[in-house]
Amino acid sequence: MAGKGGATPSTYSPSPTTQKTKSLSFGNDEVLRPDDREWHQCRPAFFQIGVVAAAAGSAYADFGSTKVIVSVFGPRESKKAMMYSDIGRLNCNVSYTNFATPVRGQAYDLGSDHKEFSSMLHKALEGATILETFPKTTVDVFALVLESGGSDLPVVISCASLALADAGIMMYDLVTSVSVSCLGKNLVLDPTLEEESYQDGSLILTCMPSRDEVTQLTITGEWSTPKINEGMKICTDACSKFSQIMKSCLKGLDSALEEEDSNVD
Amino acid sequence: MGEDSEWVTPGEVLGKASKFKAGRGAYVSPDNLTVYASLTGLRRIISPPPDSPDQRPTIEVTGHKAHGAIPEPGSIVIARVTKVMARMASADIMCLGTKSVREKFTGIIRLQDVRATEIDKVDMHMSFHPGDIVRAVVLSLGDARAYYLSTAKNELGVISAQSAAGATMVPISWTEMQCPLTGQIEHRKVAKVGG
Repeated sequence: MAGKGGATPSTYSPSPTTQKTKSLSFGNDEVLRPDDREWHQCRPAFFQIGVVAAAAGSAYADFGSTKVIVSVFGPRESKKAMMYSDIGRLNCNVSYTNFATPVRGQAYDLGSDHKEFSSMLHKALEGATILETFPKTTVDVFALVLESGGSDLPVVISCASLALADAGIMMYDLVTSVSVSCLGKNLVLDPTLEEESYQDGSLILTCMPSRDEVTQLTITGEWSTPKINEGMKICTDACSKFSQIMKSCLKGLDSALEEEDSNVD
Repeated sequence: MGEDSEWVTPGEVLGKASKFKAGRGAYVSPDNLTVYASLTGLRRIISPPPDSPDQRPTIEVTGHKAHGAIPEPGSIVIARVTKVMARMASADIMCLGTKSVREKFTGIIRLQDVRATEIDKVDMHMSFHPGDIVRAVVLSLGDARAYYLSTAKNELGVISAQSAAGATMVPISWTEMQCPLTGQIEHRKVAKVGG
């Protein structure tokens, strides 16, 4: 492999960012990002659906070194303790593998679920799901971050909407999500883990691209109004591009399914 | 058929609400009166029946796997009785119509929903036993715990039951089933099966 591991080449090191020689320098437009991207360039995105056989729907997403897998189960009976509800429920859960981060087990509370991301994923998806179509029942969305390489939550959200679409859950639109980091005077789209650690502020935009609706907007850190405007513009742009990739992924499966069906017959 | 068989994904614009009605897998947005897809699948346009007052064709999205069936009021289900209490019996729904469910759903048959006549004289233990397979209709979504089921129709009730000896019993009347091995007669709310 990379051969940079030095003393322990046999051990899998998920993210080589800790050994990166190139470091970020602020306020210098000529210097590119550690992975040689432009400031407003996303990492290459890859989506695949139907990756978990046991789930009703599933998707895998891979943005550079950020790798997540989302499985959707249900609709199934809500837990007994829940109140009666005329509409369906989404139950979202985001967890990290204990090998997700460069330092083993560093990810939050070691393998257990990430409460904040879980509730943010829920908020991002519930507005886009037609909950009336499965009254009284619950759809479970389990996201597992296999490798944390920065922009984890946006990748999880996009991947989860793809998994919901794969499960045949009715949705108003696909949900795509992108984040930008504010690094000095630059806005950095789709930041890596290293860039996130230097950021002055971050903005996560989740939207339904073909409806032009935002389901969630999270801004942290120090932002000026024109910066927010610029950041949102970059994000909506990137979101609509991601939705194209996600659509073609969904359609790609369909042609494969057709072949499968004809083979069975 | 070329144009009619196009793969669409959730959120894709299917047409204007003034020209099309939304069928399965599609919805109309009230903001801009546009029909969008809500599922992945094949777009199909269905012409309206010639005598309907609304002459807009229906547009629907089908073909891709839908999510597992969920019970709704009025659907006929096949359920296995799990527990019989004095005032109700609980049952796990196994089939909805002709399709098996992917996930388990719990239903309850209340004392007053067992049969249509003499509902004040029903004895739960003379109607169902744990392990019986019953055909029932979903009355309502029920409460937080279970769906409410009813067997108050001739064709609803126990369709298969095992005797104490372990043999599948044969129905001999509306209320009785007999074990072919021992000849013992047990009480059930028997369903009328077949013609």
